[in-house]
Amino acid sequence: METGRFTQTDLAKYPFLKETAKLVKQLGLKIEEVANPDMAVILNRAEERVREAILSISVGKKREANVEIPSFPVALMLVIATKNSFIKRRYALAEAKQAFSDMQAESSEKILAIARDFDWNIELNRDFAVPLEFAVSFADYLRNTTHLRDKKWKLVNRLLANGKVYLNKQDVTRLLQEEVQRRIEKRLEATELPALPEKIVEIATRLLELAKESIGQEEMEGFPKVVTQSAFPPCIVALYEAASKGRHLSHIGRFTLTSFLVNIGMSPEKVAELFKSFSDYNERLTRYQIEHIAGERGSRTRYTPPQCVTLQTHGVCVNPDALCRRVRHPLTYYKRKQRQFSSSLPKAS
Amino acid sequence: MASRDFVYKKFSEFYSNPSTVTPQLSMIGQRELGFLLFKERVMVRHKSFESMSSLKRFLSETVPSDVYHSCAYYENPEAEMSKKGWLGADLVFDIDADHIPTPCDKVHDEWTCTNSKCGFSGKGITPEACPICGGQKFETKTWACELCLEAAREETAKLIDILEKDFGFSHQEMRVFFSGHRGYHVQIEKDAVKTLDAMARKEIVDYVSGIGLSILEDEAKGKTQKRRRSTPFHLHNFGWHKRLKLGLQSFIMRATKDDLKNVGIKGNYAAFLENREVLLKRCIEENRWDSVRGIGVGTWRKLAKYVQSLEAAKIDTVVTTDIHRLIRMSGTLHGKTGLLKVEFPAKSLEDFDPLREAVAFKEGTARVSVSEAPEFRLGDNTLGPYKNQVVELPTAAAVLLICKGRAEVAQ
Repeated sequence: METGRFTQTDLAKYPFLKETAKLVKQLGLKIEEVANPDMAVILNRAEERVREAILSISVGKKREANVEIPSFPVALMLVIATKNSFIKRRYALAEAKQAFSDMQAESSEKILAIARDFDWNIELNRDFAVPLEFAVSFADYLRNTTHLRDKKWKLVNRLLANGKVYLNKQDVTRLLQEEVQRRIEKRLEATELPALPEKIVEIATRLLELAKESIGQEEMEGFPKVVTQSAFPPCIVALYEAASKGRHLSHIGRFTLTSFLVNIGMSPEKVAELFKSFSDYNERLTRYQIEHIAGERGSRTRYTPPQCVTLQTHGVCVNPDALCRRVRHPLTYYKRKQRQFSSSLPKAS
Repeated sequence: MASRDFVYKKFSEFYSNPSTVTPQLSMIGQRELGFLLFKERVMVRHKSFESMSSLKRFLSETVPSDVYHSCAYYENPEAEMSKKGWLGADLVFDIDADHIPTPCDKVHDEWTCTNSKCGFSGKGITPEACPICGGQKFETKTWACELCLEAAREETAKLIDILEKDFGFSHQEMRVFFSGHRGYHVQIEKDAVKTLDAMARKEIVDYVSGIGLSILEDEAKGKTQKRRRSTPFHLHNFGWHKRLKLGLQSFIMRATKDDLKNVGIKGNYAAFLENREVLLKRCIEENRWDSVRGIGVGTWRKLAKYVQSLEAAKIDTVVTTDIHRLIRMSGTLHGKTGLLKVEFPAKSLEDFDPLREAVAFKEGTARVSVSEAPEFRLGDNTLGPYKNQVVELPTAAAVLLICKGRAEVAQ
């Protein structure tokens, strides 16, 4: 393996790299020692990392490598100790964004080295006809873009030739940001915790309090219990009408409609009613399928409807309206529209 | 029932014949197998086999009408869905004449309204609703004519071209099959694609189908969402843009006034037809898209949209995105035709003759009473058309007509 691709400064800047992890291992940092007074500067920096992530999706000002490097694994430990999924996501995002911004100033070779730390199949583009610096395998590209919303990330809008997607530095680093976020989220998945020093628990509790203050209520809100038909997105309106008239629905159409209705709080009995007018209606089977989707049977997973992009691919998306342009999931549409209604209603006193 | 028994007997002979070669199924131990049972007409799923020889024994003992395997690899192929332990899946594409508009307009297909009080029937593409009673459920008898198969072949050729030039798969990495009915399958078992999730596969589907091309959108969102402007039209020389360019070139070279009308261009036919050379050279080759008066951004976009539909490979989108899909196994019989699913090299797609290579029953004849069948070919035999008559047919043809519900064994 190539060693020495990264300097000490790099390792401090990109603490999520495999090489940094190796270095930390060599340092032999012990959990019990973290609470020692001579480690205070590291512990403080670790807390700052998480605090800044919660408050402003950043990780605060950098220190010298000998503080910066060990503060990352300690910060991970603090986040795990909060046992809070919001903090986990938020912290991973903050570190990833910081990495993205730091990578802007790096040389192409350094970018290659970081990408290869994530096992990417990437090389510098040698085809002068293409004015883009990097060539990345389409599989690595797809793994990191399917969550990105902007149309420019769709593979169909990219330069794809011979299995390689051609990208500039800005785009490559944006994809690496996704990669960093996933790697950190993965490290935060650990649920089995060793006995933690009191000091750590204390800080974790403090961070949790902070998070609770700054999480908007919106995050916690579920769906109101009343089904508001006028808030259905156009695709669901079309499916709903087709179903109530007994018109044939594709498999994915039925699934979308059922999972949508179940998720907004309609009872399986009520949903089954809707499918009654189908000529191939079979009560027992229909009930079974609906309860399966609702998570009352089988794998006990409650299924949600597919995302808008998936519905587009399979031809279920019809008559998108202005609100559709701003959401990427039929349930989000419903939630927003419903909120619009309730805010425009006169307040009952 | 005698007819069903006859087909069952033929399938049984096929699977127990020691000279029948069933091609090796890769990673057989990690795949789920599924079978449609002949008599019970039920699907048996979640089976797994250690080896080809145990699978072959099962086939000869059970004689299913259709045999499927998962594209996916599992830790426990026999466990229920949520406990299988998904390890990865081949990347598969399904092209079926059912999903493609074909030049035959499916005149050979028959549909019957299943409303017990109605029962109206007709030929061709099944309507949305019955013209008599308005019912929307039909029983169909399909047929695969040479035009259907040819249309499916053309879509497959486009798919292979995209997978090769854009996605970089070699002909060796693309396994191509005739499905045994009306279409083709393309399967890629390369490690790099096995772990792609459903969302990543959806992006591949969109690419192959040309869905979401921003160049084809009339308006782009401005910085502030309110202000809209028409996006300029410009194509570079890679990926889909290159495909659009090539498509535009060939369209411009042979377009007639009627073609232009079809595409939705109004009025400026002359500007178009008299300037072919300029359009090809200045606009497409030199990227000066506004150099012909009367042919602006709107026209180019309309043309490009039309060309996109020509260049896209019309695949069954659901199959590719389903990472647990069961797909027919190569070397087994199709219950609707008695033909084999057969593999052939990607490079010989052009010369491949499905109605010869997929024939399984090569010996003997059978007397059948045919209700109705169009003229058709199997191997070197051109047969039919038949209507309400008893004929002596080669076994493969007799099985095909019985499976298609067009004939019964003659008493």
